Amino acid sequence: MKISHNLDDIETLIEELKRLADEVGAITIFIGVVRGKRNDEKVLRLEYEAYEELASKVAEKIIEDAKTKYGIIDACIQHRIGTVKVGGDVMYVLVASKHRAEAFQALSEIVERIKQELPIWKKEVTEKGAYWVENI
Amino acid sequence: MARIRVKYFGKIRELLGVKIEEYDIEEGATLADLLLHYVPHRHKDKSEAWKEMIFRRVKGEMLVDRDEMPILKNYLILIDGKSSDLKQKLKDGDEIAILPPPGGG
Repeated sequence: MKISHNLDDIETLIEELKRLADEVGAITIFIGVVRGKRNDEKVLRLEYEAYEELASKVAEKIIEDAKTKYGIIDACIQHRIGTVKVGGDVMYVLVASKHRAEAFQALSEIVERIKQELPIWKKEVTEKGAYWVENI
Repeated sequence: MARIRVKYFGKIRELLGVKIEEYDIEEGATLADLLLHYVPHRHKDKSEAWKEMIFRRVKGEMLVDRDEMPILKNYLILIDGKSSDLKQKLKDGDEIAILPPPGGG
């Protein structure tokens, strides 16, 4: 789990998950990217902030829940804070499991829970104004 | 008298223009007292916007529950990391975090 101004190299994260166990047979990956449009408005950038101490705890709980529910081997969550330009990577979620089915299911659930539960806030700055985005 | 620390995030931080501030509150003051009186009193020029942002209102009137407590919008308020209701009494050294709805991803 990492919340930082920079994400780690994704190839390195994949290799770290592969090295966890000989049983790893599937790794699913979600990459959140800054979209260039908000309805018809051109997006200039996104600005993120987090309650970092709490976000780490919540993310660890989400991963532990996914391990229990889906039997995955492990997962990794990384999220940017600060300013991210259009096209930039905002979030990585990687799930390692024995088989693909549980890796896909766990990945989807982890991403949804991150959006609903992680104490991270996003301001979308467009050519027409700035908006706080709420995932509800 | 008790000294507490309040942390603001997201649009609340932006509204008040501060990330962290301290308050000296009366013994026995509750979380509701903090949100309804202490914070608006210190940020007088933003007090209406503050109440509009965090409390549920209908036609300008604040909604209250059976105990006459105001009802929060989808905000989470933590005292020392634990979810708290508005009736909770604050004590010296408490750290209150006011969290708007998440927007990550």
